[in-house]
Amino acid sequence: MFSFDPYSPAVDADPFPFYKTLRDEHPAFWSREANMWVLSRYTDIVTALNDWQTFSSAKGNLMTELPNRAGNTLGTTDPPRHDRLRGLIQHAFMRRNLESLAEPIREIARSVAEPLADQDQFDFITEFSSQFTVKVLWAVLGLPTGDEATAREKAVLMVQSDPATRTKGPEHLAAYQWMQDYAAQVIAERRKNPKDDLISHFSMAEIDGDRLDEREVLLTTTTLIMAGVESLAGFMSMFIYNLADHPEARRQCVANPSLLPDAMEESLRYNTSAQRFRRCLQKDLELHGQKMKAGDFVCLAYGAGNRDERQFPNADVYDIGRKPRGHLGFGGGVHACLGTMIARLAVKTAMEEFHKIVPDYRRAADQLPWIPSSTFRSPMRLDLVKIH
Amino acid sequence: MPKVTYIEPSGNQVTIDVPVGWSLMQAATSNGVEGIEAECGGSCACATCHCYIESHADQVPAAEQGERDMLQNAVAEIRANSRLSCQIKMSENLEGLVVRLPETQI
Repeated sequence: MFSFDPYSPAVDADPFPFYKTLRDEHPAFWSREANMWVLSRYTDIVTALNDWQTFSSAKGNLMTELPNRAGNTLGTTDPPRHDRLRGLIQHAFMRRNLESLAEPIREIARSVAEPLADQDQFDFITEFSSQFTVKVLWAVLGLPTGDEATAREKAVLMVQSDPATRTKGPEHLAAYQWMQDYAAQVIAERRKNPKDDLISHFSMAEIDGDRLDEREVLLTTTTLIMAGVESLAGFMSMFIYNLADHPEARRQCVANPSLLPDAMEESLRYNTSAQRFRRCLQKDLELHGQKMKAGDFVCLAYGAGNRDERQFPNADVYDIGRKPRGHLGFGGGVHACLGTMIARLAVKTAMEEFHKIVPDYRRAADQLPWIPSSTFRSPMRLDLVKIH
Repeated sequence: MPKVTYIEPSGNQVTIDVPVGWSLMQAATSNGVEGIEAECGGSCACATCHCYIESHADQVPAAEQGERDMLQNAVAEIRANSRLSCQIKMSENLEGLVVRLPETQI
């Protein structure tokens, strides 16, 4: 009998054969292991993303939610509360407000890529993507330097789950606590010495004379740091993984860096690190012959929808000429990823500078250690060998 | 399914079936209609899914404050019938809707 366990290491390593069975045979599937429904077809996921009234985020959006997070962040609130929070933050993430970051981001990329000139083999994640993303985020948020390495370690732990207990383990919860404490310090510091930056504005914000709830400020800041460190690095790691495995695409992108944006969008479709998020049903719903009940949790398997042949012909092929508009790599609807523009800018810039130093490369290992996570998918380590 | 006609910047007209509940932006991007960027993915945070509503003026629900504010960031000319297509949900009474897409979004 078919089962789908998002906690299984087999799903961490390669979810795509499971997704195909889900789409073709069980488009509305009850996963006993996850204790929720799984939607895997592109149109069903899009319909759910466009209907927050039925598919609510207020009970959490991570497959394995962190304690007290639901209801206190952008991703875990519904309109109108969500819109109030988003209104405070979104301007910082708009294209025009990111333009001034282009040059600092390029400088960071250069400084992180340069030491790779002398190495024939290196772990892309330790040596490049982690260092780059943390430095970018610290520059963007104006965080005090010195804690980057620890913050990165904690952000990666926070998003993981324990495959045996199917919950967050003590080490994951401790990392989450560390990140909250760290965010609390930054917020306190900004309130004492406000600057013209996102966290200062956010932590001092009043809406119609009404201060934001302290927990909202804390957990939204915590989530911004987590997403900025972990999700951005995960996205970049998956992109280089695809380029390492597809020599023709890689050579085209190196020869003509203006192809990088299309290659990046296709990467977000092909194997986005944001594989699965969840919602909570607000009313009974019958779908594909299954009776789903109000209060049931529903997994939206973006990674499965992105490989749906009904939407994307030859969906299992990584094709940088595809221009996969409408892909689910950043989610969609009111909760579409807030960081899309900075993520695109940062990853494109990073890859341009990386390719100047390392123009040709391949993976060193066939099998990779994947992070144990019911929500995200990216390798913990990705050794690359230069091709001369 | 109700039909919507999109007029692309080139003047090319594309008519597609739009599932009820989907946003006009979502249906356009999922069907390869040219002329919408939708950089933010539909969260009303970028103004790159700007469109002009050319029919059904009385039946399209009015824009909320957040959309009106964000619309001011649109690059192309803002007209009385300008909207962000991610904020308009398809419904049966919008059958035959005509949506014109501007010259540029970025």
